Amino acid sequence: MLEIKAIDVFRGEAQILWNLQMKVEKGEVVTVLGANGAGKTTLVESILGIHHPKKGEILFMDEEISQKPPYLITQMGISCVPEGRRIFKEMTVYENLEMGAYPAKARPLLKTTQDWVFSLFPILKERRNQIAGTLSGGEQQMLAIGRALMSRPMLLLLDELSLGLSPKITKGIYGTIRKLHQEGVTMLLIEQNATMALLHSQRGYILETGRIALQGSSQELLGNEHIRKAYLGM
Amino acid sequence: MAEFLMYFTNGLVIGVINAISAIGVSLIVGIMRVINFAHGELYIFAGYFSYHLSLTFGLSPILAMPLSVFFIFLIGILMERLLIRPTYGDEMYSLIITFVLSIVLQNSALLIFGPYPNKPPALISGSTQIFGLFHYGNQRLLSFGISIGILLFVFYLIKKTWFGKSVRAISQDREMASLMGIDHWRINMISFGLGAALAGSAGVIIAPIFPVTPTGSSAISLTAFVVVVLGGMGSLKGCVVGGLILGILENLGAAYVSTMYRHIFAFIILILVLVFRPWGLFGQKT
Ligand SMILES: Nc1ncnc2c1ncn2[C@@H]1O[C@H](COP(=O)(O)OP(=O)(O)OP(=O)(O)O)[C@@H](O)[C@H]1O
Ligand SMILES: [Mg+2]
Repeated sequence: MLEIKAIDVFRGEAQILWNLQMKVEKGEVVTVLGANGAGKTTLVESILGIHHPKKGEILFMDEEISQKPPYLITQMGISCVPEGRRIFKEMTVYENLEMGAYPAKARPLLKTTQDWVFSLFPILKERRNQIAGTLSGGEQQMLAIGRALMSRPMLLLLDELSLGLSPKITKGIYGTIRKLHQEGVTMLLIEQNATMALLHSQRGYILETGRIALQGSSQELLGNEHIRKAYLGM
Repeated sequence: MAEFLMYFTNGLVIGVINAISAIGVSLIVGIMRVINFAHGELYIFAGYFSYHLSLTFGLSPILAMPLSVFFIFLIGILMERLLIRPTYGDEMYSLIITFVLSIVLQNSALLIFGPYPNKPPALISGSTQIFGLFHYGNQRLLSFGISIGILLFVFYLIKKTWFGKSVRAISQDREMASLMGIDHWRINMISFGLGAALAGSAGVIIAPIFPVTPTGSSAISLTAFVVVVLGGMGSLKGCVVGGLILGILENLGAAYVSTMYRHIFAFIILILVLVFRPWGLFGQKT
């Protein structure tokens, strides 16, 4: 579904991603682990068309997208839960969800998709008329996921889901990720906090200073000595 | 008493027109971080267009007014495409460009339309007695009604339609909005056109009451900026309340203090707001 072929990505003068290769197949959940500043967000933003690689290709459904603007990539079926959630704080919960359904393909399904999102996150239904900026951190994360689902994406990118959330809320949110996987949503989980992500994915990549240092099944990575030390704090 | 009420009513009429004009500025600032210094000139041009369409080309004023606004809309779209778009990301450039454009347009207005005030024909004549207290010109009452109609339309557009929601999303987080699938280039262009059209609407509504002159345009821009600051950046409600406050104060001030001070009032309000409440009446304190 997604294939990244040897991309080099720069931010200003600085090269952040080096000859990066990776793949996500339909129906898979794939984890990308990396320390602070490894380039995880840059990778997400390159897939989304915010940064354009100087070299290499990004194929989505066999179409080259690396030079397309973000709004076209979203319309093609990739959506994201960005780092820091970035919900529209001055809009209501309901309006945030509506914005997610902006692509023409998603609009006719707005009502059914919304019922689906409300069934995943009943609290959002209760708060639908509340101004989004007044939600708690966990609720804002749920809203960000809900908003991303509203476009009926084929591929969902999630950048640091657990950032700033209590272990209990993180667990709840990963429960939803499991449900989404069972419903067939393809996902790329970007995490610094590795255990949860590896437990909920099939494969993983380790990103170190902009390069893929290691890859394998999530099981293998969970058992790897180096990774246990560096990312799992064990 | 009757006299006071009449000045007050004048203030209301001017106030809603102020509001329309200010929303035009606010929309463009909110979504593109561009201050359009040529706002007042677009307003003036609309007034002249409606004058010439009805008097030179013999169109009915009912047609001349919306047609003039439509021309201004197109001018706004062209401005965005040709002049503003290349400056995105650099607020200094867009500032300089619209400033230069305002001077160019003001001088063109002098060349094309001449220095004399022009007043398009009224849509309606006569006057109506208000609450048995004073007579008030029907044209002004009609202008008030049309202005309220335009304000309701703009509120509906911004609050309820996909276009309006994209405008609000872009104002809050441009990058995130584009990740929703919003083509912000297109929305920017339409919004600039809409901002211009709102300047034009204010212009065609006021022209039959107070004739427009090329030299009046700077004061019109100033008034719109003051209303935006007073109401609070990015707030539609703020534009309406700010527009009314300024309209009423200016008219009462001009009646009871001196007409000479009309624009001084705007200036004093601007200073007071900037000192005591820089985020305005309805703006977000950041
Ligand atoms: N606007 C920018 N211009 C230049 N370099 C930047 C910019 N933003 C980030 N960087 C650099 O790019 C590198 C990768 O940043 P990125 O945000 O992709 O890392 P990350 O893995 O997501 O980190 P974190 O865990 O902190 O979110 C860092 O070294 C950072 O300093
Ligand atoms: Mg990051």
